[in-house]
Amino acid sequence: MSEQESLALITSMIQKAKGSFHDRGTSAILWGSAIGIAGITGFLQAYFKFSIGFDIWLIVLVAIIPQIAITIRERKERSALSHEKQLRNAIWTVYGISLLALMIYSALVPGVTENTFQQKGVEILQKNITTGEIKLYQQFVLSQLSLYLILFGIPTLTTGIGTAFKPMIIGGIVCYILFVISCFTPFMWDSLMAGIAGIINWLIPGIILRNRYQKSKIADV
Amino acid sequence: MFKDLDPILHSQLRLAIVSLLISVKQAEFTFLKEKTNATAGNLSVQINKLKDAGYVEVNKQFKDNYPQTICKITPAGIKAFDDYVKNLQQYLKP
Repeated sequence: MSEQESLALITSMIQKAKGSFHDRGTSAILWGSAIGIAGITGFLQAYFKFSIGFDIWLIVLVAIIPQIAITIRERKERSALSHEKQLRNAIWTVYGISLLALMIYSALVPGVTENTFQQKGVEILQKNITTGEIKLYQQFVLSQLSLYLILFGIPTLTTGIGTAFKPMIIGGIVCYILFVISCFTPFMWDSLMAGIAGIINWLIPGIILRNRYQKSKIADV
Repeated sequence: MFKDLDPILHSQLRLAIVSLLISVKQAEFTFLKEKTNATAGNLSVQINKLKDAGYVEVNKQFKDNYPQTICKITPAGIKAFDDYVKNLQQYLKP
């Protein structure tokens, strides 16, 4: 084997390895759809004052089931693990843990705050300035979807920059822009912004990845 | 003065295996077989030579009741590949 042949072989194998990995975009489409539907439906319910009878954000929890199936299938089909995929797995795992932590925070903090006030013998009341009605103030995390918008942007922007994938860079930046806007708008609009974030952040990049994957499959045939 | 190219790496199939493994975190035997177009027997022999040289780590396990061989390049393998490419560049300089 000559030196030129060695170099050509190295180049060809590295190219072959690089060309073997294509993200199907399935997870991105799943989460983009779930958050998009939940956010927009939540906003429509608040804006047009109707109820669908259950908390629409539960579909985000339900989406965990197909995600587990997708992960198991991908692991079964995977014959090699790229460095890029390993890094992406780490980013999205940390994101999942952070998301869960924020959900726990949103669920627990209002109750803990109320208990703390009760132990101190303090009650927070709210007064309707039109009717004069005074009632106990129900604690809740203010503008919590704004916090989720920050969190949504982290893995997408990191993945986008790390893999030089423009749709995810744009999606991540859009999340931060929506976060800034959500700081100045009533809570009802936060839900719409979370829905838009889901679509721009994940659904659209996911569809682009899916198209690329299908094109690469056709090219391989 | 030109340095001799590492004889372990200066073989078509072994160089192909190491070039593939340098590009990934780890790869199954089937992946290497598909990309190199080698026969299972020849591939197995060459992987063992790389393993004996300490360039490749081989783990055998079961996946869905089928035996699975996972190969991974070692730090010694990365260094050997790096040196090989550097020496190769010396030969190719005009």
